Amino acid sequence: MRVVALYKWAPNPQDAQVDPDGIVDWRRATEALSEYDPVAFELARSLADLTGAEVIGVTAGGSAASSSLACKTVLSRGIDRLVLVADDRLKTADSTTLAAVLAALIHRIGEVDLVLAGVSSVDVNEGQVSMTLAAHLGWIGLGGVREVEATDRGLRVKRDVPGGSETLAVAGGAVLTAVADAAVPRRAGMRDILAAAKKPVELVKFDDLDVPEGQVVVSRVATSRPDNARRQHVVVEASEPAAAAAQLISALRQRNVL
Amino acid sequence: MSASLDTWIIVADDAAVGGLIEFGRLRAGKLVAVVAGRKSVADEVATAGVDRVVWLGQPPEGTPVEAFAAEVARQVGEGLPRVVLGPDTTAGRALLGAVAVRCGGPVFTRVSALDLEGDRVTLTRILFSGIAECRESVDGGPAILALPSGGQVSATGTAIPVEQVEATPMTVALVVERRSDEGVSVDLPSAPVVVGIGRGLKAKADLTLIEELATALGAEVGCSRPLAEGVDWMPKERYIGISGQHISPRLYMAVGISGQLQHMFGVRDAEVIVAVNSDADAPIFSECDYGLVGDLYRIVPALVAALKTVR
Repeated sequence: MRVVALYKWAPNPQDAQVDPDGIVDWRRATEALSEYDPVAFELARSLADLTGAEVIGVTAGGSAASSSLACKTVLSRGIDRLVLVADDRLKTADSTTLAAVLAALIHRIGEVDLVLAGVSSVDVNEGQVSMTLAAHLGWIGLGGVREVEATDRGLRVKRDVPGGSETLAVAGGAVLTAVADAAVPRRAGMRDILAAAKKPVELVKFDDLDVPEGQVVVSRVATSRPDNARRQHVVVEASEPAAAAAQLISALRQRNVL
Repeated sequence: MSASLDTWIIVADDAAVGGLIEFGRLRAGKLVAVVAGRKSVADEVATAGVDRVVWLGQPPEGTPVEAFAAEVARQVGEGLPRVVLGPDTTAGRALLGAVAVRCGGPVFTRVSALDLEGDRVTLTRILFSGIAECRESVDGGPAILALPSGGQVSATGTAIPVEQVEATPMTVALVVERRSDEGVSVDLPSAPVVVGIGRGLKAKADLTLIEELATALGAEVGCSRPLAEGVDWMPKERYIGISGQHISPRLYMAVGISGQLQHMFGVRDAEVIVAVNSDADAPIFSECDYGLVGDLYRIVPALVAALKTVR
């Protein structure tokens, strides 16, 4: 059984600098996985441990994804090998394009039974790629997933739905997006980190893949930085809590929000 | 190319698409709803003021709505609308993904404005958890948007005919069991006052302190991510953030919350934001109206006491 776990190595917007024209400077931002990717790794690893499956980490992104740090970070978290495209032409690719590249990688790997993904990436944070990937593959895409089990007929998937939960029997290829608290990711120990350096990494060239071009053309007209000035920023040291509390409540009553 | 000026709305077995209909109604061309799911949903949408309802037929027992993704995409592909609006829900995103592949374009999220001028579609959307905003023009195919679905539709009184079309859903996944949530459901988006609690809280038992504050304020309680996940102190429905609840209360009081982007995105529309945090450098102090720097274990009881006396 082959399980693919998707991930994205990307900069955290928290560390980005944005000028008043909305131009984003990522230079001080460190790249990392999102908090959600390791949840998908954990589900994949647990399933693999019970079934003897192989877990393959797959990503498509900018060149930083092929760095030693990026690869070791993923390979030390329950992933057996990596297959990725790391090309700066993909740095600003939209979700449909990225999904198309991922689909091409999955076809290239061959005989993949299941794709697992986390909620969203740390930079763009859209939570769309996994479901668009399902459509590219012609597979069912299911979100809100909490548990995945192998059965003799395929998979048993438990997921959240509005108002409760449901269990599905899945008898074919599926892309599953795990909820943020589906699993607590295991910490990478020293052994995992050392072993990571020896695991296979297949770097696929973007030009070697057959990726259909999109038809829709999106052109950026303008950027801006949202106006923070609407907030008052009245910040006080509350060394005298009772006095500070009284002041605050008075101000809130004056503004008619209390 | 878009053949028509129509706006299509995707309904994923849930008729609570009032927000999509509002958003779609003010555009040129017809408003067409493509409904995957039960007949009752199609019937309800048919009273909501759309111009056409295309229904993919009653799902066979146990069919998840996501199994209709390719069929939804097929209908949209034949309709060639200029704009497609889908609900920003788990199921909605699955259907939108199929539409995106069919149309060869991205799904746009966090769209704050959509302008249609003649042939030109321009949208404004928020980037990277709220640090920037951009305007983009979309050509060569429909602009596909995931939007907050916006609650119940209002019946206009006239029900238009529901057009049923042939559709074969995928059969690879079957629902074998369903369970309803026990307990009281939380409705954070409707609460006029919300208290958020974060990592500053040291023990689960200390939540009683926050509950006292909430009672004194007449507030609902929400949390930033760390308290909803892994640590499991609060149910996931109380998580406020970019991938959780988006709220717009009169007053949002963030206690022991550092103010990470992903959380603040969920409260950006609050009228007034108050922050209580012991770290003077916490990012939340540049995102709030009023901030108290200090120990929440002293400040919260002081707030509770002050709220009880000034009445």
